[in-house]
Amino acid sequence: MLIERLNLLLAALDSVLYPDVIRALEGAGKLLSQPEHQADHPDPPLPAGVWPLLTLLVAQQITPDIDTVSASSVAVAIECFVCAIDLLDDVIDEDQTPTLQTLGVARTLNVSTALLTLAQQAILSLSQQGVQPLTILRLLNTLQESALVVTAGQHRDVLAEQRPAQNFTREECIEIAAAKAGSIMRLACRLGALCAGADNVVCEQFSEFGELLGIAHQLDNDNHDLYYLLQGGTSTIASTEAETARNIKSDLVRGKKTLPVVLAAQINGTLQNTSSSADEEKKEYLRALHEGILTTWGICLLYRERARDRLQEIETQKPVAPLLHLLLGFE
Amino acid sequence: MEEQQIQDFVHRVSHDETLRKELASNPDGVIMREGFSPRVARIVARLVPQLALDKPIGPSSPFFWR
Repeated sequence: MLIERLNLLLAALDSVLYPDVIRALEGAGKLLSQPEHQADHPDPPLPAGVWPLLTLLVAQQITPDIDTVSASSVAVAIECFVCAIDLLDDVIDEDQTPTLQTLGVARTLNVSTALLTLAQQAILSLSQQGVQPLTILRLLNTLQESALVVTAGQHRDVLAEQRPAQNFTREECIEIAAAKAGSIMRLACRLGALCAGADNVVCEQFSEFGELLGIAHQLDNDNHDLYYLLQGGTSTIASTEAETARNIKSDLVRGKKTLPVVLAAQINGTLQNTSSSADEEKKEYLRALHEGILTTWGICLLYRERARDRLQEIETQKPVAPLLHLLLGFE
Repeated sequence: MEEQQIQDFVHRVSHDETLRKELASNPDGVIMREGFSPRVARIVARLVPQLALDKPIGPSSPFFWR
């Protein structure tokens, strides 16, 4: 159903733009991807379309007999939105993803614009499915608000590259994580709740839950990428080892103020330019970085626990469906 | 604030060999003495293998969200 809705939406695209949009939506983990297990990689392949599935399952959690066509349209809006934001993120961070390598910067930016517009189109299409105009307006408004929060978070992240890590605080790092991954997962949950006709209390519960979980995911990403790089081992994240290492190094070179890096700078009182330091200073910095990584992991677990607490509040009203539990990673 | 409690505790364990050894041999006793909230206590308990025994950290999220 999700792929069907997405294909209907894409059918309106100009034939010049269509193949490039498809290329983006076939990227790893995206709805049109075809997961293939790589024999030399420890992880299973990324399943296709976890973001729209989250929105759809939240909607079905609230209203089990919800019209799947309209709920799928909202879920597809999330897929387009997340794909657009991911492309922008890759361009900004200069990550050499397969899509960016194939399309180049100019076409990638154009595809991102098209996907942001398609996300709105997907919601506007609800008017053909008998959804009330007020609901459509609320969904669209929520999408627009989130887009501005994510963009501000990304902008803040870019500006942070110019500031020394010691001038950063733990709170600022978490605020950036909240504005980026936190607000995207918040949006995915909130749109699901809104389209299912949830009241304000339930909408807010799912929104907060999504934000907390999104922050935990962001911290987990930042931390484990750095950790495995320091260990010289293999990351368990689902991309090739070389690609992962390249992206992490790119983050370090760009001066990304991830939480473990900021905490290490606070502990050590040094900048990130360890290569120019004496050996002993470098060892001290690495020890501080290790402490920063452990602290970040603890804070990541804290946000995951907070999300779990929210989920348990939700479950006091109605048990959460096993598939949604599985998707969220809570036993 | 829970974030600060975790940060302070990790810092102390990282710089106090005696506390590290005590955490390795008697984690429940240390956690109880610190007076953490139940939530922070659960997290610190999960951190014990890494803090006290140098075990590698593992991912906390399903791989498809990372």
